[in-house]
Amino acid sequence: MRRSVSINLGLDRFSGLYLWAVFVIVFGVWTPDLFLTMSTVHSIASAQAITGMLGIAVLIPLACGTYDLSIGATVNISAVLAGSLQTGQHLGLWPAILVALVSAVLIGIANGFFVVVLGINSFIATLGMATVVGAFQAIATGNTQPNPPTGRTWNNLAQYSIGGFQVVVLFLLAIVLLAWWALDHTPAGRYLYAIGGNREAARLAGVHVDRWTWLSLVASSTICGIAGVLYSSLNGPSLTFGAALLLPAFAAAFLGSTQLTPGRFNVWGTVIAVFVLATGVQGLQFVTGVQWLSDMFNGVALLTAVGFAVWRQKTSKARLDRTPAPARDDSGPAPADIDAPPDAPVALSG
Amino acid sequence: MPSRPAPAATTPPASPSDPLPASLVVSGLRKSFAGHPAVDSVDMTIAPGEIHALLGENGSGKSTFIKILSGYHRPDAGQATVAGRPLRFGSVDASYQLGCRFVHQDLGLVDACSVVDNLSLSAGYPLAFGTIRGGEARRIAQESLRRVGVDVDVRRRAAELSPALRTGVAVARALRRDVSARAHLLVLDEPTATLPHDQVDQLLEIVRQVAALGVGVLYVSHRLAEVRRLADTVTVLRDGRRVAQRRMADLSHGELVDLLTDGHAVAAARPRHAEPGKVLLSARHVRSGHLRDLSFQVRSGEVLGIAGLSGSGREMALASLFGAVMRDAGLVRVDDTDLAPGRPDRAIAAGLAYLPPDRKTHGGIMTLSAAHNIALTDLRPFWKRLRLRRRPEIAETHRWFSALAIRPARATTARLETFSGGNQQKILFAKWLRRRPRVLLLDEPTQGVDIAAKADLHEQIRRAAAEGGAVVVSSADLEELGAVSSRVLVIRDGHIVAELGHDEATVPTMLRHSLGGESGRT
Repeated sequence: MRRSVSINLGLDRFSGLYLWAVFVIVFGVWTPDLFLTMSTVHSIASAQAITGMLGIAVLIPLACGTYDLSIGATVNISAVLAGSLQTGQHLGLWPAILVALVSAVLIGIANGFFVVVLGINSFIATLGMATVVGAFQAIATGNTQPNPPTGRTWNNLAQYSIGGFQVVVLFLLAIVLLAWWALDHTPAGRYLYAIGGNREAARLAGVHVDRWTWLSLVASSTICGIAGVLYSSLNGPSLTFGAALLLPAFAAAFLGSTQLTPGRFNVWGTVIAVFVLATGVQGLQFVTGVQWLSDMFNGVALLTAVGFAVWRQKTSKARLDRTPAPARDDSGPAPADIDAPPDAPVALSG
Repeated sequence: MPSRPAPAATTPPASPSDPLPASLVVSGLRKSFAGHPAVDSVDMTIAPGEIHALLGENGSGKSTFIKILSGYHRPDAGQATVAGRPLRFGSVDASYQLGCRFVHQDLGLVDACSVVDNLSLSAGYPLAFGTIRGGEARRIAQESLRRVGVDVDVRRRAAELSPALRTGVAVARALRRDVSARAHLLVLDEPTATLPHDQVDQLLEIVRQVAALGVGVLYVSHRLAEVRRLADTVTVLRDGRRVAQRRMADLSHGELVDLLTDGHAVAAARPRHAEPGKVLLSARHVRSGHLRDLSFQVRSGEVLGIAGLSGSGREMALASLFGAVMRDAGLVRVDDTDLAPGRPDRAIAAGLAYLPPDRKTHGGIMTLSAAHNIALTDLRPFWKRLRLRRRPEIAETHRWFSALAIRPARATTARLETFSGGNQQKILFAKWLRRRPRVLLLDEPTQGVDIAAKADLHEQIRRAAAEGGAVVVSSADLEELGAVSSRVLVIRDGHIVAELGHDEATVPTMLRHSLGGESGRT
């Protein structure tokens, strides 16, 4: 019994890391000159930096059981504003960035208003907000892609090279560390997870449920604002990239919740998920060269991993039900499961 | 009642000349949980068309008895036949096939759906080429409602109906025509507990209509007055044993109350309570839901019990004081602080603590660890140099685990859901005790808790009071109230009807006041 638990523990909690190792070995043997190079490492790292930030952005509201579907639109408008204000409105570099960030924060405040004050289901409220922000973006740009700014400082913002890595990777690291500290080492994180676990019980324990839900949405949109500015510096102010990042960000957060501390949305799990998927996709692309791989791979991986975790949860629940007083001793592993946020889309009718 | 002809056989067992077999015959039914008999050698006979009341206080074995009939529990011994055919125990499906139907207090209607949908969801829709024949479905629904004497527009949503009509729809759904399994027995579990008083008559009429169809009715209720008007026969359970099966007409209200309450030993070895000190909590004219007017004071060192049947308004008492639910009116004051309604955070800051009745949905956060649940009420002691320190948190959790004998003793970081009910409840006690609250509000503190854990929790309640706090316990378990309280308030129909001192608060007295005394309410 004890033995089987510890074996499962490895597979459950660190399956992502095992998979990562498998990818590295398989593709390393297959195409060593392409795959096993520092340039591959550098390119995966910076290509996924923005996705990683957005994964953290959705993770924070998810921890308290709230969806933020406006991240795609927010990161997009932030990128477009940061770029077009410089080239179109001839604003300085820093004022343009400031306006982009403030806009993102305002979107988060508005999200919070709709979710907390008006009580709209977060899935709907943030979806509506995403659409409205998209419309604002069309107004601001007239649907023509702004010219990318060309200043050296602007380019260096995300592209400055440190030991081969673009500096955007360091920004990701900073955001990850900050989110990890906030969620795992501060009262704020405790409150968010408590709200996500049982909103009413948290309220009855004196947690300011509304305040923290609101703050989580503002935190999410603020990270999106930063990610948008960096994306713009990295790739130019594209009009459409945001929507394409929405699903990968959620996929990473949900995949991440099957890792390290299964059943709990967590920062490092999300980061692992982002990079494991990217490594797999990169390797397969080297081998086959087809374009649809990334979508196929991400989707299949998400369904497989989350499906496996749900199945594990069912079997471990059944085991709990059979034993009336489960004698789990000390810090045994929690069952692998997925905490569906309370206002998951299935509950929209409620 | 006079309008209905007396059923063929009200004196069990059914006379041999009766052409119809009895709806239900139960003999020697026995069921123990962990060596503790919940139902002990119970016999019962219900004739077709008979309304049979099942009475007994909490824990007397009523719900176990019903759950055996419904196939949920498998009894240790005994037989049952339904309309002459032997019931195979332990199968919900077998119970249905023999003709047993159940309507629980939670009716299980889909509020957002129309009445016709509610009736058709389980019975199936009439179809033509795979499409619902709306008119036919409505006609069938209308007809099954009319059988039980309910007349509503079946296109209305269930949520729009009055509580009595909703119960009627649930009854009609239970008794719907099913060619493969005719209904012989309808079990109604406390159907009027949450019903406004002016709607009780309407429901009783529906029950009579059902009986007139030749269905035996087993009617479980706390409300003696309505039972006396409705039932032909009555079975009284006490501590799992049948203490009487009688014709209702042969019993006076007083005799019925005596049957329910007699033979109870007054809880032994009740502790002496310290002299009460200053007033810590006062409530003035608090109104919320069924609770019409609650006014009382609790002093330091006191354990105040609140008794009352379900539906009396007692359920709302502590929740509305704490702010878990909004109160409609009234003042609540802790020490010198007036509490804003609906603000648990302020109540906690003022020194209140509240243990909700349902630990799964309101009390604990099942997906978090025991340590995190306990720490949630006050994280300040662990917040040092910009981090929550794990070690002092685990150390404090360990102290509470050993102080309250929580098992398994080393599982401080296991998820709350992995603990047994009693240990979960102890963990939730710890979560509040660590704040050293001025006033502890405990709603059903030992519901679903084993006997040993119950004794531990009672000890904690006494200790909290002895250390200068005040405790208010609201419980359906009268023995518990008798065991821990220095004073008991009894709530009936939303008002306090009695205040019993330490020595008066015996189970029979509390029950008498809860039920409405000797004279009854009619």
